[in-house]
Amino acid sequence: MVLEATMICIDNSEWMRNGDYAPSRFQAQADAVNLICGAKTQSNPENTVGVLTMAGKGVRVLVTPTSDLGKILACMHGLEIGGEMNLAAGIQVAQLALKHRQNKKQQQRIIVFAGSPVMHDKKALEMIGKKLKKNSVALDIVNFGEDDEGKTEKLEALLAAVNNNDTSHIVHVPAGPTALSDVLISTPIFTGDGEGGSGFAASAAAAAAGGVSGFEFGVDPNLDPELALALRVSMEEERARQEAAAKQAAEEASKEEKGGEEQDATMTERASEGASEADNKKIEIADDDDTSLQQALAMSMDEPTSSQDLQDTEMSDAAAEDPELALALQLSVQDSTKDSSSQADVSKLLADQSFVSSILASLPGVDPNDPSVKEVLASMQNQSEPQQKQDEDKAPKKEEEK
Amino acid sequence: MSAAESATAIQRNQVDLLDFIDWSGVECLNQSSSHSLSNALKQGYREDEGLNLESDADEQLLIYIPFTQVIKLHSVVLIGSEEEGPKTVKLFANREHMGFSNVSDFPPSDTAVLSSDNLKGKPVVLKYVKFQNVRSLTIFIEDNQSGSEITKVQKIALYGSTVETTDMKGLKKIEDH
Repeated sequence: MVLEATMICIDNSEWMRNGDYAPSRFQAQADAVNLICGAKTQSNPENTVGVLTMAGKGVRVLVTPTSDLGKILACMHGLEIGGEMNLAAGIQVAQLALKHRQNKKQQQRIIVFAGSPVMHDKKALEMIGKKLKKNSVALDIVNFGEDDEGKTEKLEALLAAVNNNDTSHIVHVPAGPTALSDVLISTPIFTGDGEGGSGFAASAAAAAAGGVSGFEFGVDPNLDPELALALRVSMEEERARQEAAAKQAAEEASKEEKGGEEQDATMTERASEGASEADNKKIEIADDDDTSLQQALAMSMDEPTSSQDLQDTEMSDAAAEDPELALALQLSVQDSTKDSSSQADVSKLLADQSFVSSILASLPGVDPNDPSVKEVLASMQNQSEPQQKQDEDKAPKKEEEK
Repeated sequence: MSAAESATAIQRNQVDLLDFIDWSGVECLNQSSSHSLSNALKQGYREDEGLNLESDADEQLLIYIPFTQVIKLHSVVLIGSEEEGPKTVKLFANREHMGFSNVSDFPPSDTAVLSSDNLKGKPVVLKYVKFQNVRSLTIFIEDNQSGSEITKVQKIALYGSTVETTDMKGLKKIEDH
């Protein structure tokens, strides 16, 4: 939403007749200009955009910075191709046009489409760049079309001279199937500095880009909503199934821990091994772009169900061998036993006379040798004795489990 | 003017105009982004010797300072180092939004060539008659003492007095009862 006045410098030299950018270089440039104008005016309604041509008879300002999009689009009609591009003069005239902008609070920016060879030498371009930087004008360069020796280098030097805190950018667009405008959409020229894309740019991207992955599942929901929906549903089902399987594995793992220590060690080892294997695989696949593919692969490679079966059989064998273990397992399933076992602990402690007397000794004002205290202790011991015998089995088990 | 005279002139009824600067409109062209105008103008920063205003692409600086009300400007203090401090300074009163290209288009209200005394803190007394009715001040630093690529200014202070002006922002609407 930066308030900005932009001057776009168009290359309408003879080199623009070439058809290596569909339909012709000039037409591709015009489309890009239209898109940029739209994006700028949409991101901030007070933004202004102006257009000038660099070739032809001389540098000519077609429209001074205005926020009227119709005026800008209209001036693009009927432009003639011819002559040679004069980059230095074009930039200087653009700078002058920006200087006389109506709203002095706007930041100044020049966007240059450099399609034909650059006649000026590097030194001259650097001087121009320094002047722009001194007057805090940002510069965006679109390097396309002709690529003679030194052109890229010269433009990079120009950018380096102008650039102040990354406000200026250069984009190299090679000839190819993708249109010039499409390539520019993803560049900082369109998205602005650190904004991450205006709404206009995002919608333009959705409309124009068909096979561009960057959508979930690689399918554009705008183009094919049913397919996108089907993919999303199947993805969620897979995820739910995976969660259920993981939950089951966790339950089995917790039951195994209640068993004997040896079985404990091996089973937990196995469980942790299985988990670490899954982790490793996930890390390997994480490099891929598509997360759905990654999870599907992880699912197919892991076989938690089969390993669980192994563990199940081992557990039943263990239970058969050790009746105490079986008892422990039964008890662990029942909730109520947990409470009683904790109670048994407390009563056991109280029954331990030496422990109680040591506590009493630490209490101020209580003399353990006092006869009344001794009486109470004796009565407590008598009460707890029958309970103690019952709990003997449970208590050592509980300690083992701990 | 002797040093004693200028010192007393400051004491008489000239105040530091820091409070009357309209910070929303302050601009500086060709400043380095890490060493900006605040380092030289703002309270606290300007006293810090480590914090300077530095030029970027070349040695010139163009500083635009609008005020919240009309002031009369008496003198200016510019503190900098012996080599990289400013030398030729041109002051323009009431010229909005100048650029480097039009500094030579009209004559400055005053020009000062700073000596090493000035750079240590001695105020530069200006042609008072030219600065009677100042809404905004543009300071153009043309070059520095040693001719180096970068000009460094540690402190800029403006001394003067106010003219009784209505501060439009302070006006409040009278409620009808």
